[in-house]
Amino acid sequence: MDELHTADDRPPWDGLEGTERHAMCVAAAREGNRNALDVLVTELTPLLWHVARGQGLDRAAAEDVVQTVWLAFLKNIENINEPKALVGYLVVTTRREARRTWTPNKRETHLSDEYAEQLESDTGLPEDVTLQDDRDRRLWLAFGRLTTRCQELLRLTVLAGRAEYRAVAEALAMPHGSIGPTRGRCLTLLRNYLETEGGSR
Amino acid sequence: MNEIDPRDDRRGPEDTAVLSELNRLVDELDPPPADLVDRVKFAIALESLDVEVARWERAGSFAGVRGGQTGTITFTVDNLTLMVNFTSTGSRHRIDGWLVPAGEHEVEVRVADHQSSCTRADDGGRFVLPDVPTGTTQILVHLVNSRGEPGRTVVTPTIML
Repeated sequence: MDELHTADDRPPWDGLEGTERHAMCVAAAREGNRNALDVLVTELTPLLWHVARGQGLDRAAAEDVVQTVWLAFLKNIENINEPKALVGYLVVTTRREARRTWTPNKRETHLSDEYAEQLESDTGLPEDVTLQDDRDRRLWLAFGRLTTRCQELLRLTVLAGRAEYRAVAEALAMPHGSIGPTRGRCLTLLRNYLETEGGSR
Repeated sequence: MNEIDPRDDRRGPEDTAVLSELNRLVDELDPPPADLVDRVKFAIALESLDVEVARWERAGSFAGVRGGQTGTITFTVDNLTLMVNFTSTGSRHRIDGWLVPAGEHEVEVRVADHQSSCTRADDGGRFVLPDVPTGTTQILVHLVNSRGEPGRTVVTPTIML
């Protein structure tokens, strides 16, 4: 498929990590290196998946959003001014695409932050899993009871904690100063639910 | 620095502990579908990268055509609408499609691990591919103008047939 490189060639992103690696892959992909695109897809698709799920999409819709984001990326690959900001660009694009997909019956009404704040999440976290650990089970149930907004915030918090996804933080277009208090409220709720789950079961 | 980064969190060890448990659970309980990366790779393995993405317009339900059902899917991009009806013929499919606005555009159906099937829409925008293999499927519409000259290419996300 890729005739520019023989099997002996080390790809230019070899040995690089994080944003440097992504930037090198974008540059190589622009030159027509399809392997570089595949590397990006392999390494970043899980992140985009969690971003889409964090927006409250069910699993089937999240799959389609992730595909749409990558297909749209092909056309825009020449226009990404800062390849090092690739992760941020992809996260923002995924959130936008997920919100536009969010509800087919109210397509004109995009999911707003205000609404997401109120919205009870009913998009079905996987339930058909058997959790051996009771604490895990209770935590997952408690997480599922949070609003979509809280679930997204906590998912993105978790993802941003992974070194390779630090750019997630910068990609979030939340007003400065509102993340900390909002997340604090979400965590307090989560702990309350956790205690309730413990008491009732 | 980053407010969203838990390492900058000053809310105490209890929150940090819950977050790290959540970190593990998100991966364990809500992982991406095992074949998603392969489906994306197939979807973007296109001759030209200069493509427009047609979005799947879901009517009423998020549930799409999956696992050999028969049904109609509508994709839209800008001012082009692509309606596709899939009919199972055993292990293969018949595809009836309709492009609006109409044009004698070239339609290509890619199925993973198979050769593409191609046809041309008639002047009413309709096309038929009577015998398409089953699998991860993507539709490409190579648009032509009224003089038959090639223009944009529109692609859909993959669907599982």
